[in-house]
Order: sequence, then structure tokens, then C-alpha cells
Amino acid sequence: MFAHVGDELIIEGHRVGEPRRVGKVEEVRGDDGGPPYLVRWDDSGRSTLLFPGADCRIEHLTGAGKDS
Amino acid sequence: MNISDLAVRAPVVIGGDATVAETAALMTTAGVGCVIVVDAETPVGIVTDRDIVTRGVAQQYPIDGRIDGLMSMGLIALDVGRDFDDLLHVFRDHAIRRVPIVDHDRVVGIVSLDDLMVFATEQLADVSKVLAGQIMFPHAGDEALAPVPAS
Repeated sequence: MFAHVGDELIIEGHRVGEPRRVGKVEEVRGDDGGPPYLVRWDDSGRSTLLFPGADCRIEHLTGAGKDS
Repeated sequence: MNISDLAVRAPVVIGGDATVAETAALMTTAGVGCVIVVDAETPVGIVTDRDIVTRGVAQQYPIDGRIDGLMSMGLIALDVGRDFDDLLHVFRDHAIRRVPIVDHDRVVGIVSLDDLMVFATEQLADVSKVLAGQIMFPHAGDEALAPVPAS
């Protein structure tokens, strides 16, 4: 998985009724666009550090690459 | 207050290729209820004793199966430089009970909601002691606030 600053990060809900979580990548701390990412979440407006799992996908809004 | 002021527990980590039995044994030895699953040194998930029960035993997951088949993915962490308020928001916003604390992306500790409760209780106890002291032994300076007797 790789991302760029400005990309959108999405984690789908794991249970029925659980909303998806969407955030924007503010910092890429790994090598070559790898995790962890500092993500600002749309619903709370706050940022946390995320080590993404397989349930996470990246939308490359900056046009720098395709979904990983 | 900074997160580092809290009693952050040292993290207990295990590789994703470890078995469920090995993970349970590590939890027992280390006296913890959760471990962070790592790939090399990179955290990739977290698994709790409850996960082993509900996703493992209850689903008849083999005890010699890989632990990364049971773990929760997508680890939400906080930098060690963040403050207490940030930590509270993480617990609230993400509905999780444990937050790994990282220093330059290396996990250096873990804080649970229970730890916060203990901390808050200790703070409350300190306030209670001050209040009890003021009730039982009023300050001499308080005399100035006493009502003036009618002449």
C-alpha cells in the first residue's frame, strides 16, 4: 500500500450499520509512500496515526497513482 | 498534560506468523490482555484475549493457526508528544479500548481505557483529600470570610 499527501483513505464498516470511515492523508511517514499515515478523519476533524490493515483502501486524489 | 505523563505500559508484540497458542502463552507470561502484531517492526494489528475467545474458540479457529487471522487490522495510534485531550478523543472517536503510543513510528507503549479510569480516579482522590482537609481544618485565612456578629 502506498499513498501521497492529499489522498483519501477509506475503511469500510465491519458490521451492519457501522459507517465507513473516511479521512485525508496529511503525512506519509513510511518509505516510498508506505504507512504509517497521519490521517485527518472527516467525521471528527481530528488526526491520528494509522497503520492500515487489509480492510483499508486509498483513493489517489492527487493523480499520482492507482488504488493499492 | 502530555501522554508521556501517564503510566504508559510497555508494548508486548508478536509476529503475525505466531500461532494462537503461542500468543495466548505470551499473554499469560507477560500478564497482559492484548498484544500488538508486527511484521518486522511495523505494527499491522492488535489482538486481545477476547478476540481469541470470540474469533478463535467460538469459531473453532485452530489453536495452531496464525494469529494474524484473528487480529484487528488498522491500528489507530498516537504520537507520544500528543496530549491527554487527544487521547480522550481517540478513545471516543474510534470506539477502541487501547491505543498504541508511538515515537517516530516505533511503538513505545500502550494505554488502555482502564488506565485512564485509574488515572482519573487517582486525580479525584487527590481532589477529595483537599476538600476533606478544608472541611475538617478550615484555613485561618477563612476567618476573614466569617460573618460579622451583629452588635
